[in-house]
Amino acid sequence: MTTQELSATSGIELAQASRSNLWQDALARLAANRLAVIGIIPIVLLFFVALFGPTLTPYDFLAQDFTARLDSPSREHWLGTDELGRDVFSRILYGARTAVSVGLVSTAISLVVGLIMGSLAGYLGGRVDILVVWLTDVTRSMPALLLAIVINLTLKVPLEAWMEQLYLETKNTFFRQTMWVDLVLVFGALALIQWPGYARLIRGQILSIRSRNYVLAARALGMPTSRILTRYVIPNAMGPLIVAVSAGLGGAMVLESAFSFLGVGVQLPIPSWGKMISDGLRMWQTHPHLLAGPAVMMAVITVSFAWLGDGLNDALNPRQWK
Amino acid sequence: MSVLLDVQDLQTRFKVRQGYVYAVNGVSFRLEEGETLAVVGESGCGKSVTMLSLVRLLPPAASIESGQVLLKGADLLQLDQRQLREVRGGQIGMIFQDPMTSLNPFINIGAQMAEPLIYHRGMGKKQALARSAELLEMVGIPDGETRLREYPHQFSGGMRQRVMIAMAMACEPAVLIADEPTTALDVTIQAQIVELVKALRDRSGVAVVWITHDLSVVAGIADRVIVMYAGYVVEEASVDALFEDPRHPYTVGLLGALPSLDGDAHRLTTIGGSPPDLADQPTFCPFHPRCPYAIERCRTENPALEAVADATARGHRTACWVDIRELQSPVVSGS
Repeated sequence: MTTQELSATSGIELAQASRSNLWQDALARLAANRLAVIGIIPIVLLFFVALFGPTLTPYDFLAQDFTARLDSPSREHWLGTDELGRDVFSRILYGARTAVSVGLVSTAISLVVGLIMGSLAGYLGGRVDILVVWLTDVTRSMPALLLAIVINLTLKVPLEAWMEQLYLETKNTFFRQTMWVDLVLVFGALALIQWPGYARLIRGQILSIRSRNYVLAARALGMPTSRILTRYVIPNAMGPLIVAVSAGLGGAMVLESAFSFLGVGVQLPIPSWGKMISDGLRMWQTHPHLLAGPAVMMAVITVSFAWLGDGLNDALNPRQWK
Repeated sequence: MSVLLDVQDLQTRFKVRQGYVYAVNGVSFRLEEGETLAVVGESGCGKSVTMLSLVRLLPPAASIESGQVLLKGADLLQLDQRQLREVRGGQIGMIFQDPMTSLNPFINIGAQMAEPLIYHRGMGKKQALARSAELLEMVGIPDGETRLREYPHQFSGGMRQRVMIAMAMACEPAVLIADEPTTALDVTIQAQIVELVKALRDRSGVAVVWITHDLSVVAGIADRVIVMYAGYVVEEASVDALFEDPRHPYTVGLLGALPSLDGDAHRLTTIGGSPPDLADQPTFCPFHPRCPYAIERCRTENPALEAVADATARGHRTACWVDIRELQSPVVSGS
């Protein structure tokens, strides 16, 4: 019997042959995962809002209306107003921008650092490997929040002084905006906290893929190292990395909120969900809407990222491929 | 026939926590054009390390300490990385033990098979894919064009090994090194793979080095056999001479462990223990602790590979102090 005849008699064979691309395959599996699809919706919305937030908001996030302080949700102010009469909904939308930019930038920084350190450790091995692993151990041995607080306390004042000096030298008002100091410190702290995770993941991936038989087979076919890296090692390392980045993005946003909640994250006037939660907490008994808005937002996004990460993990895990 | 591959005094050792493990200890052999050489021995005898040493595909802990690997007169151990890549896949094709993990799961069979053709032969992508389809049909996978678009997980183990063989043979190498290609397969598939390699060999004239621990496979495919133990070649003979007139106790042990169709049913003999990891160049025969024929000299001197006296066939060599034919029954070793 030829393959075609076999295909005709058993539909399974045919269905298998028609599925060709592994990425399409993974996408199909992801689309079949209901939780992951539900999770994608808020995430897409979040990114959309982060991009276009300021044009979507009914009010400016800084506009204060003293005639409408601490208003409950109404037709004018969907989620009410805060102590200074600022529209909570507008501030949440603008806070999405903070959350997304912090998530993206800190994840990008830690990913790049992790990629370099992890692949160096994986490829070179020996002393470089020991050094990198030791560095990741040292970094991970410190509690994340404590590390952020230490960074904030020790670096903020000198950094602000340095910017002030730059302003005096250049007369460029850019250097007067202290919110950049906050952002840089938050990015730096988050990157410092997160890079060891990526570095170890990539190191492990490279170590395991480097000893795979198909890499040996490719070398036995005379493929050059660069080709083996781009065609064999990197694509096979992508799955776990995508999952880690998806989880890492959500994690970075939560951490940023935690920093802001504790007062070591971005400072006013930039809206941050963590800061809004911490402000709202002071009067949640009388004005629960101040806490509820950002807290619900935070919860939805965190859960969405967790579901998406989970779905990606299932979709990209080769052990589940049949 | 002229000598294609001439390996002389190859030594490879592994660096371990305390010192070295000597995996290949002065292995020499020749491969003639169109010849099939079987390399047999238990796991851990240095068969695979020897073959990986030829094309320097060793893990980082291993190093080749001395020797020459002359392929058509050029020493592979002296080539730079670039020249070496030309040899790998171009002059020497290799197939490995586990076909299930030997293909990259992320790219389809066509792209994978086209790689060596594009790289070694400078073919265009279209041309390489067309050739790949031909190669698939050549190794007995029908409907090559369709199957090129499929991924490794859509192929069975036997099919994958056929793909590996097609890739190894793609650039028409002079030597095909098969490192236990049938070990991970079902017995029926094993026979098919052996037949396939034989057919390809007969058609293309490629010389084959077939590593195995399965002597029944050897009888079916090889012209000559070398038996390895603890990184040494302990016996070398034509396949008939080896089966009819084995001279090394280890070879006798391996043959004794083989079930036979004729004769009375009897319990298969085994060789007790396992091969040693040599931490130093031994001053004894590495097989003597497991050898039923061992004499005092075996404990103090390591025998060299020498021509067998009054051999029935030419080129029969063994490394043993004892002429085992003189002994009616094995003496029980004291150790």
